Amino acid sequence: MELRRSVEEKTFIIITAAAAAITSLLLILIIGKIALEALPALNLYFLTTAEVDTPGYGQAIANAVVGTICLSLLSVAFAVPLSLGTAIYLKKYAKDNVLTRSVRFMIDILSGMPSIVLGVFGMLFIVIYLKPITGGLSLLSGALAMAILILPVIERSAEEAIGTVPRELEEGSIALGGKKWTTIRRITIPYALSGIMTGIILGLGRSAEESAIVVLTAGYSQFYPAVEVLQNSKMPFGAQLGPFQEPVGTLAISVYHMFQFPNIVPRANGFAAALVLILLVMVINLSARVILWRWKIG
Amino acid sequence: MIHESQTESSKEVHGSKPFSKLTSIEIPDLPGLIFLLCGIITILIIVFLIGFIFYTAFPTFQSQGLYSIFGTNWDYTQHQYGMLVFICGTIALTVVTIAIACPLSILTAIFLAEYSPPRLTKVMRPMIELLVGIPSVVYGIFGLFVLGNMFKYNINPGISSVLGFIPIFRNLQPSTGEGLLLASIVLSIMILPTITSLSVEAINSVPREYKEASISLGATKWETIKKAIMPVASSGILTAVVLGVMRAMGETMAVVMLFGGQMHIPGSLFDTGYAMTSKILNDIGYWVAVPEGRSALFAIAAVLIVFEVITVAAARAIGGRKKWS
Repeated sequence: MELRRSVEEKTFIIITAAAAAITSLLLILIIGKIALEALPALNLYFLTTAEVDTPGYGQAIANAVVGTICLSLLSVAFAVPLSLGTAIYLKKYAKDNVLTRSVRFMIDILSGMPSIVLGVFGMLFIVIYLKPITGGLSLLSGALAMAILILPVIERSAEEAIGTVPRELEEGSIALGGKKWTTIRRITIPYALSGIMTGIILGLGRSAEESAIVVLTAGYSQFYPAVEVLQNSKMPFGAQLGPFQEPVGTLAISVYHMFQFPNIVPRANGFAAALVLILLVMVINLSARVILWRWKIG
Repeated sequence: MIHESQTESSKEVHGSKPFSKLTSIEIPDLPGLIFLLCGIITILIIVFLIGFIFYTAFPTFQSQGLYSIFGTNWDYTQHQYGMLVFICGTIALTVVTIAIACPLSILTAIFLAEYSPPRLTKVMRPMIELLVGIPSVVYGIFGLFVLGNMFKYNINPGISSVLGFIPIFRNLQPSTGEGLLLASIVLSIMILPTITSLSVEAINSVPREYKEASISLGATKWETIKKAIMPVASSGILTAVVLGVMRAMGETMAVVMLFGGQMHIPGSLFDTGYAMTSKILNDIGYWVAVPEGRSALFAIAAVLIVFEVITVAAARAIGGRKKWS
């Protein structure tokens, strides 16, 4: 009996340790393999030239790197006011009743929404129906659709961060005569700021890695996003505003091109774009982590 | 600034309503109204989004009736839009993915939470969570270009030559590596970190006393895990699994590259198939300009939303919102 128990214990340890080893090796294997495949194409020319200045297809990715950053920042800019406002209202103003619970349920539904659903919505409504405003497949369309995707990400972490503010601090402020808004502005938000920032940065990472929405709403461009005004008789006032109303190239689509045109895009270049995208997203996610650890206010 | 806040607070004294608890609607201050507006806009966006999808999909449901769900023929020229093949493809993909990911991630979580020395956990948890940072399109090309040939020449023929007498292990598509198994394995790598880190949290949230009581009664660690920890942590772990299901169901890019995209229900692990998300992505670019085809594709999106809402409701019913946010 004793023997059986100890054998059982040992077996179980071995099984779980093996599972853990496999899981964590996956990361090293996947990134290592991608880095190895990417090595031949990784050079300064590849990283710092726009695709349009190269002779072929998929030869350089600088336009996509800039485009990815623009698209992520713009979508976060759209999503932040709405999501923070919603989070503060739900946490600090609304009472816990059927209404707020159903609001949270809807936000949960949005956060689990398959990105392809947001993609087709964006394609039909934002790209086609709102074409006079968004300019069709464009940076603006992509950012609007992406803002819907990351809204629940930011909202949830903001709500969670606000929930960690000690009651005593807020009660102290109110006891000193602080108005509700003063308390929120001076106590709640500064205390929750690191958590809120983490949510925003996670949203940034989420929008940098997204591909299904981008391919349907932002299109692809071989040029750098440029500030310019173009003549376009189909747009209101006959003007098309760059970069907002023009298609934008993104890294996710550079990688996707490798699947679409496997005979045109060199294998190493596709993997190099993938590696750059992974590193970009990981740097973003890591900085969220660092902020959460190091930058606690309060 | 002090002066300003004093005047604000004096207003508060007059403005605060001692009887406000009696009335159900409390009128907030100006910033509160702005936040309320944000909340209302958010809700309107969600309602509009879902309403728009169903509105666009409605003509298809109207003309096809139940055939839209249970029909197996999808043809734009014959005006027949049955999505059973895609629904079965998505379900098969999700089931196999969960079957692969669950044991691996839950065992990993048990190891990280209970057995591994704290120093190792500190290294391994961030490493596993970094896997989240690999975009799905990268998983897609990794699966296609790196794993594809491996599956075609080694894994698929290898497994089916040993286990081929069992119907689900027959190698139905020997000419390609793409198929149910490849797509599911890549998907399960994608959802591993989610299930693992949420399960670790669920196990860690089990009160220490339960564990100590069990060990002081002479139970081994494995018995403690089996009898004391798992029953308490199970709802959290189940929520994690449901979240994984959601992610696998909605994944588009990797699936479109790895599932094969052939119009039939997969007959074995090595057979190709067609998922709902892939059908939408492949066809929307061309058919978005045609009202009928577009409506049919939106019908798939509508059914996906229904699946997703059911999963969210399940996750909430099991674990509540707190555990998985």
